[in-house]
Amino acid sequence: MVTCAPKQEREEEAVCVIMCASVKYNIRGPALIPRMKTKHRIYYITLFSIVLLGLIATGMFQFWPHSIESSSDWNVEKRSIRDVPVVHLPADSPVPERGDLSCRMHTCFDVYRCGFNPKNKIKVYIYALKKYVDDLGVPVGNTISREYNELLTAISDSDYYTDDISRACLFVPSIDVLNQNTLRIKETAQALAQLSRWDRGTNHLLFNMLPGGPPDYNTALDVPRDRALLAGGGFSTWTYRQGYDVSIPVYSPLSAEVNLPEKGPGLRQYFLLSSQMGLHAEYREDLEALQAKHGNSVLVLDKCTNLSEGVVSIRKRCHKHQVFDYPQVLQEATFCVVLRGARLGQAVLSDVLRAGCVPVIIADSYVLPFSEVLDWKRASVMVPEDKMSEVYSILQSTPQRQIEEMQRQARWFWEAYFQSIKAIALATLQIINDRIYPYAAISYEDWNDPPAVKWSSVSNPLFLPLIPPQSQGFTAIVLTYDRVESLFRVITEVSKVPSLSKLLVVWNNQNKNPPEESLWPKIRVPLKVVRTAENKLSNRFFPYDEIETEAVLAIDDDIIMLTSDELQFGYEVWREFPDRLVGYPGRLHLWDHEMSKWKYESEWTNEVSMVLTGAAFYHKYFNYLYTYKMPGDIKNWVDAHMNCEDIAMNFLVANITGKAVIKVTPRKKFKCPECTAIDGLSLDQTHMVERGREAALFHRL
Amino acid sequence: MQLWRRKSLWLALSASWLLILLGVFPLLRVAVPTKPQPRAPLGWPQWLDTELLQGFSQPEDLLEDDTQPSPVPHKGSCDWGTCFDTSKCRGSDFKVFVYPAAGPISEMHCRLLASLEGSRYHTSSPTEACLLLLLSSNNHARGCSMTVPLEWNGGRNHLLLHLHPAPCPWTVQLGQAIVAEANPPVNTFRPGFDVALPLLPDNHPFRGGAPGQLQRHSPHPRVALLALAQERGGWHIAGTNSSACPWAGHCEQDPGSKQTQPGTAIPNATFCLIPGRHPGALHFLQALQAGCIPVLLSPEWELPFSEVIDWTKAAIIADERLPLQVLAALQEMPPSKVLALRQQTQFLWDAYFSSVEKVIYTTLEIIQDRILGASAHPSQLWNSPPGALLALPTFSTNPSDFPFYHLQQGSHLVGRFSALIWVGALSQPPLKLIQAVAGSQYCAQVLILWSSERPPPLKWPETAVPLTVIDGHGKVSARFFPYSAISTDAVLSLDAHSSLSTSEVDFAFVVWQSFPERMVGFLTWSHFWDEARGDWGYTAEKANEFSMVHTSAAFYHRYYHTLFTHSLPKALRTLADETPTCVDVLMNFLVAAVTKLPPIKVPCRKQQQEARPLVAPGAAKPKLAPLAGRDCISQVAAGFGHMPLVSSRLRLDPVLFKDPVSVLRKKYRHLEKG
Repeated sequence: MVTCAPKQEREEEAVCVIMCASVKYNIRGPALIPRMKTKHRIYYITLFSIVLLGLIATGMFQFWPHSIESSSDWNVEKRSIRDVPVVHLPADSPVPERGDLSCRMHTCFDVYRCGFNPKNKIKVYIYALKKYVDDLGVPVGNTISREYNELLTAISDSDYYTDDISRACLFVPSIDVLNQNTLRIKETAQALAQLSRWDRGTNHLLFNMLPGGPPDYNTALDVPRDRALLAGGGFSTWTYRQGYDVSIPVYSPLSAEVNLPEKGPGLRQYFLLSSQMGLHAEYREDLEALQAKHGNSVLVLDKCTNLSEGVVSIRKRCHKHQVFDYPQVLQEATFCVVLRGARLGQAVLSDVLRAGCVPVIIADSYVLPFSEVLDWKRASVMVPEDKMSEVYSILQSTPQRQIEEMQRQARWFWEAYFQSIKAIALATLQIINDRIYPYAAISYEDWNDPPAVKWSSVSNPLFLPLIPPQSQGFTAIVLTYDRVESLFRVITEVSKVPSLSKLLVVWNNQNKNPPEESLWPKIRVPLKVVRTAENKLSNRFFPYDEIETEAVLAIDDDIIMLTSDELQFGYEVWREFPDRLVGYPGRLHLWDHEMSKWKYESEWTNEVSMVLTGAAFYHKYFNYLYTYKMPGDIKNWVDAHMNCEDIAMNFLVANITGKAVIKVTPRKKFKCPECTAIDGLSLDQTHMVERGREAALFHRL
Repeated sequence: MQLWRRKSLWLALSASWLLILLGVFPLLRVAVPTKPQPRAPLGWPQWLDTELLQGFSQPEDLLEDDTQPSPVPHKGSCDWGTCFDTSKCRGSDFKVFVYPAAGPISEMHCRLLASLEGSRYHTSSPTEACLLLLLSSNNHARGCSMTVPLEWNGGRNHLLLHLHPAPCPWTVQLGQAIVAEANPPVNTFRPGFDVALPLLPDNHPFRGGAPGQLQRHSPHPRVALLALAQERGGWHIAGTNSSACPWAGHCEQDPGSKQTQPGTAIPNATFCLIPGRHPGALHFLQALQAGCIPVLLSPEWELPFSEVIDWTKAAIIADERLPLQVLAALQEMPPSKVLALRQQTQFLWDAYFSSVEKVIYTTLEIIQDRILGASAHPSQLWNSPPGALLALPTFSTNPSDFPFYHLQQGSHLVGRFSALIWVGALSQPPLKLIQAVAGSQYCAQVLILWSSERPPPLKWPETAVPLTVIDGHGKVSARFFPYSAISTDAVLSLDAHSSLSTSEVDFAFVVWQSFPERMVGFLTWSHFWDEARGDWGYTAEKANEFSMVHTSAAFYHRYYHTLFTHSLPKALRTLADETPTCVDVLMNFLVAAVTKLPPIKVPCRKQQQEARPLVAPGAAKPKLAPLAGRDCISQVAAGFGHMPLVSSRLRLDPVLFKDPVSVLRKKYRHLEKG
């Protein structure tokens, strides 16, 4: 028992050895010493039970440590903010220089710290929280606000986080500069400068939502920060360093406080609404003039002054004596004005987006939140300040369909990038990450398309209208098992096609060697035999290195009815439709082995949605997709059942391009020798539906 | 005794079991921290008093009364809101005035003036212009000096167009003028106000321009991975095993891994590395044209038209300080991404860069987009074929209204078609044709474009669908005017002499739904290069190829009416009015220039093919047509600057067309009669 107790994982093996030995001994025990005394027997039993216990304890090790790891309270310290260490800043400690407006990623950012990273994710370090006081013991600012704590928690919980300062690429100080009003500028700058890796602010990221202060309200944080990147709300084009800073939204605290169910798009009770309180008198006059002109369709709200408590409530707005609930009232308007206040960035933008109201942004030179990646034209209307009086007529010319689209887009922007501090933090880091690893960057569509569009849209991988030159030719791939005679006939026939540039025989029989070289038919193009490791139908669609042409002709070793003219014409058709499968009707050319005769397709319908890949032209890129990008279960199903690989390929192509197949029907008697047939593009273009259908189809077969 | 002893022993045993079970767990807890396990990262702490933390902003912060209505305009700098006066640009009327050249006029200037004059932007009065264009000359003797024009007004609403890089600083006080300059340095470029132009070579074609050189969607497996732009011009092709070290300067000692091809004008590689310094800029367009994906290493200049073009879709902008990382990333790039990038380079080249004219119109289009605001081109129109110059925002801002974006939108083309029947000078009302077309299940309306001098008959045949008569004003180009009466996406263009059966119309419409961006027609022409005359010609003879379809019986998208009327140069439309046969050719050119694909041919009955006249009926002098036609095609080709027509060799038939099955099972059985 005692030996067992302080067991540790690295002793596991030793325990096992003892156990195994004693088990053996135990088994032999009774046979070797049959007349052993009871005392001894008890001793053995005890020994055995100890060993058994050891086994159990070892087993426990397998499970116990995991549960410790996953429980977060094991190594996240529980402390109070009041207990954080205090740092005294001497009055003469260095102050960083003011920011350099010409900073760009390739001049001010030290990319060496980010180095090569297989995951293409930057590593972000967060400095430990400290309380900074000056010589007199007066704090330089709020230790930390609720939002900044949330923000740092979000970064800490994300994939970007590292606690190893030496491996970090980006540093986030825990000094809270979200609101410039709550901090002392010079002392905060001194606090930044004494951070352990400050180094002129290189690779440091500051988050600020309310920059500037009275009377001139600068549009960027006034704290000198040297080369540090600034994620700021309310940048103007003068202070924003394109491609270096990140423009972020001003978080609206109402996002978390108020529950506002989503409201569908469409025209609403008020056409135009202004809900901001701290508006300049000039703007308010302009807005009220609009209201007077257009009557009930325009609503201009202000703060409520006559409330009983005498307190200005953030949740109430008034028009004359009418009281409205904010932000609920925003859902009653189609367009909502977002005017510049003292600052360019306004928290109301977030509320407006959330309400699905199209923001009308009237703030010259304002750099919109995440404008580096978000396409604000799709979600908002921007109106120059001097055109404010014309705002109504500008908006009225917007077609209703576009308004609805903008409303949906506005709501989507809020859900994805505005709704929480976490969303804001992660979007900021993603933008910086994309700058550092541009080849792994997220695309415009990923940033801007709402999920519904992402699901339904099809992006054809071969979207460029291009007719490949005839000289390129095609590669024929013959999948064969052991029908050598028929195979040779196919090879001879195919080799007569003028545009053939290479012939590839996929020998799928592992038990039998392909015939000797001398026995193969002599043809004018290179012939290559590929032996496969396993007899799988998917081998036909493997992207062999030997395929150099873009066009691939997949042909079965029993398709001997196609003439070289027909094949050549098939290739010509493929050139005009390189993103489609171009095949021949199955009924003419299927050879039935049992019956030793040509089998005819019994279905004579007016629609084709599939061609058999027993003889079909397609782009070689689909080979790559089939082998590497096909949902795994489908490929496995095909391999296991030795069937349906052609259906899988048809679905794959239709899925990815959203286009139907083309059937080539050459006929010699008819006057028009070169015709193709097309009709009834019965394939669904919405690929999500198809996944399900494909599975169903496979099960039926 | 023994029983007691055994009992006690069992007791001891079970007690020890219990002890162990109880004891092991706490002991394990102690043991765990000493294990050499990977330590979970120490995250941001969860504060005990999180609930007590204050919000970052107090209501007062959000309520601060504005004391300053507008910010102090930044000294010496401009942005769109402060420096451009949009009040002169009413609605969609974006008018541009071009200053005549002061001194000896350069050829480029002259052609530019001519080109703008024929375009929809042109105005000859500087007072009604929204934008005043000042073309700076490339006369090195005079440097960059420029005479300040009369209407300068501090540069307000002026666009300074500088196609060639200026080695000297601007001598004119720029003031509030927009600068469109080749390769502007990032530091002086004003985003959202200035326009970045590409650096064009001296011999860049003015119109038309060479098409992209990409011949295959996916790169050839044996082609080199990298080509390096060289300082002296030309390209340096790195070997296929470029893992060695592709960087110029570092690799001279290792000539085995690559073959040097000095002076290679066109890079033949998958990726083209271009240094970010200024000399690299010319390489950028070369790479784009060749379909070689540009990899720009920390460019110091703004990428051309970066305001609207999403360069992340066509190029890779990397940091020159991490060469090995870039190389590894290029080698590991998935084929799907390489495929997409390559195609995008070609699309961008063809759409915006292949000629000087395109570059200038793109610049104007960008400025127009800023004025239009919400009704400007959506980003998708700029960044997917056929490009913003060919997708007019005045038609619609919703991509699904255009014929090009249905797949990307995930939308289907549903609906029916409008039959537009043109009745020319000497024609009789096409009563039989109206019946046949209106009988189609897909027909939504019949529009008669009455262009005859005689008044239209008062009585029209009874049809199931509404019939409207529009006055055609006797002009041939009126056939393709975007009439508001056309309510469907599909238009079936007919003229009084056409004879079609309902089956043919039905099938052609179904085919058109699969190819909404192309023309689907019954009768075809093909173009050819006439060696003897050294000019283009075309023929209606039955050949194995065709490249045009008669618009006297063809389906196409109604958007082409808008494009025909609003984007074609005035000279070409006048040509069409003067030579009526040219309308067909012109329309085919237009559609081919947009789609870069051939039209589609569908079957029609035999006797009709033979009965058809060779030229568009209604033409005043059909006898002269072949010759006039020849002139026409070469004139139109000159107007386009290149030959956009593409030949096709196939015809689309219904699936069971002429198959040996019972005629009753066929959907379009009437097609085979006769």
